[in-house]
Amino acid sequence: MSRAEFSYDFPHRHLVSVADLNPVDIQIIFERAAHHLAANRTPDKRSDVLRGLTVLNLFFEASTRTQGSFEMAGKRLGADVVNFAMANSSASKGESLSDTARTLAAMKPDIMVVRHSATGAPQFLAERTGLSVVNAGDGMHEHPTQALLDSFTLSQHWGEVGGRRILIVGDILHSRVARSNIGLLNILGAEIRLCAPPTLLPSDVDQWGCDVFHDLDEALTGCDAVMALRQQRERMSGGFVPSEREFFHLFGLTHERLEAASPDVLVMHPGPMNRGVEIHTKLADDPEKSVILDQVESGVAVRMAILELIGANIRKEAVA
Amino acid sequence: MSTTRAIINARLVDPASGQDGPGGVLIEGGIIAQIGTELDLDAADEIIDARGCILAPALIDLRCAKEPALTPDGETVDTLCAAAMSGGFGTIVLAPNARSPLDKADGFAGMSRGLAQRGVRMLSACGATQGLAGEQMAEIGLMVRGGAVYAGCGDRPIRDTRLMRRLLSYTSQFDVWLSCRPADSDLSADAVALESDWSARVGIPSEPAVSERIAIERDAALAELSGGKLMIDRLSTAAGLDALRHVRGRDLEIAATVAVAHLTLNEVDAGGLNSAFRMDPPLRSEADRLALVEAVTSGEIDAVVSDHRPTPFDDKGEPFALAIAGTLSLETLLGAMLGLVHDDELSLLDALRVLTSGPADLLGLPQGRIAVGAPADLILIDGDKPWVCQPDGFASARGNSAWSGRRFQGRVLQTIVAGDTLYNP
Repeated sequence: MSRAEFSYDFPHRHLVSVADLNPVDIQIIFERAAHHLAANRTPDKRSDVLRGLTVLNLFFEASTRTQGSFEMAGKRLGADVVNFAMANSSASKGESLSDTARTLAAMKPDIMVVRHSATGAPQFLAERTGLSVVNAGDGMHEHPTQALLDSFTLSQHWGEVGGRRILIVGDILHSRVARSNIGLLNILGAEIRLCAPPTLLPSDVDQWGCDVFHDLDEALTGCDAVMALRQQRERMSGGFVPSEREFFHLFGLTHERLEAASPDVLVMHPGPMNRGVEIHTKLADDPEKSVILDQVESGVAVRMAILELIGANIRKEAVA
Repeated sequence: MSTTRAIINARLVDPASGQDGPGGVLIEGGIIAQIGTELDLDAADEIIDARGCILAPALIDLRCAKEPALTPDGETVDTLCAAAMSGGFGTIVLAPNARSPLDKADGFAGMSRGLAQRGVRMLSACGATQGLAGEQMAEIGLMVRGGAVYAGCGDRPIRDTRLMRRLLSYTSQFDVWLSCRPADSDLSADAVALESDWSARVGIPSEPAVSERIAIERDAALAELSGGKLMIDRLSTAAGLDALRHVRGRDLEIAATVAVAHLTLNEVDAGGLNSAFRMDPPLRSEADRLALVEAVTSGEIDAVVSDHRPTPFDDKGEPFALAIAGTLSLETLLGAMLGLVHDDELSLLDALRVLTSGPADLLGLPQGRIAVGAPADLILIDGDKPWVCQPDGFASARGNSAWSGRRFQGRVLQTIVAGDTLYNP
């Protein structure tokens, strides 16, 4: 049954977790993202579907690509985009998140795009302010737009993500990208594999619906895509692996190791990338295998789709 | 080598199969081809009549040490190998210690290849932390790829519980043992003796036996949590043994070794404050020693190690509490263990099990047993021959022996590795 037949509309006013999405929601996001992806490749990128709405980029953690991607997405849709770099702001002067939220809400923005080092901060802000919130990464919890852009990138190559074998290798323990991707890929029906040293895997990882490996060559067998993750040193306390070179020798992606994967295997990385640690520099730059820059391009399109869909629901509520 | 050799008329003692009776072996291409009393001797180029001798698997030592390269008058790979051969060892494992932490991945594979060409099968463990300082993980993965057979922590326990958890977790991916000295770092700080009437009277820094129990409980809980393989390195007290029994009921992989010193000596030996008896762990009470011997019989101890530790003469020239710890042990280990057999404290099969199939099974080695298809690593022993331990006659470069002057009964006649006789005095 197609969506039109039972007239389902994207129902969400927030995007806090991939767990809030069902397969039809994801399909709607991907359809809109495909539209924006094509439009973004033309000189006529600008639309004004979000004209009159204000998007607040609230980044309590440093970010380059995600913040830029959201800013570009909002501007291309005609929204007013305001960036608050919170890393050096009132929060560092002792203001509570609750007070910051109320202050910002009083300026009457419509959508808050939030990144914060604490799990649950976007949900907290949504509850405190009543504004629409898009989670741009909270602690080690979720990064839903990254997961959506990753699956969107794969769907652009394959059509369907369901049924494919996808490996995530690297620092799973500290990664919100991994957690969101695992959630989303499970919804989409992909076969998920994880590969990391045991010190960089969560203790309950066997409950996550993934096959877990410690040997990269074994893990890569027959994979259609492999996603490398960097070690999140900023979230680490003490040493989890002995050295970067040992990590590379055991878990670094190289052309040689990819021989075990499917011949058309796609290599992904959410960035920032540490060449020579989790991925060989030649592989990162191989246009035959690497879709790392496709991911960045998809990121703007997917974020446009999300802002657009949420914006439409904000307008609908205002009318009601 | 391709010659076919037969050893006949021996008392064949093989702990792996439990066999103790008349028999012999036929060796072809370095492998045991036949076992029993009816061997196909027509094929043999050489027949050794071992009447009156014990034929057993060559011994395996999971913990010995040489000295750092270029140490003046030091124990080299050559002298260590010679000591191993004369002691009846076919396989020895270099274990990390403070003087030789074995913690550098650079060149580890090359070292392993070099060690493999020594006649005696020399393997190496690797240090689990950088400099054995117990702070930063060493490159265990690269060293395991380079041939390390387990990861060890040396003499110093891992004080940091979180690091211990990560070490057990990290090593679990390579399926190697993490060998760790069971002692609570704070309770055992600076101790050179067991807390006892004797150490209290002479006033030397001592540790309570429960230090070992606390460490075993902690490390076993972490092994259970992380799925790591924990090797209790040189269990030495009855309190530690109680803890081992307690944790063995749980779902975890745990092994325990005991040093030969703790099976055959006690703190009374150190009573005269002779620096030769300065050990790490320190010598324990007679009750501890007896409990450990019983645990060998009951199968609770997986391996007995030599903890062979050559030390410069000058450092044993310090008073007991300041002396460097350790004793030579490779050339006296069999004599000391046979002493327990002659004293009816241990059966010969049990004494040899912890020196052959026990350690072999821990490392997954094919040797350490008399079985068709196994490597022909064998020893011939005269079980009764009396001799006196005189370190001057040792193949080792040093002379720091805690058994100096002891009378032993039973001596190695031949050490055979991969079918070749390496030692035949």
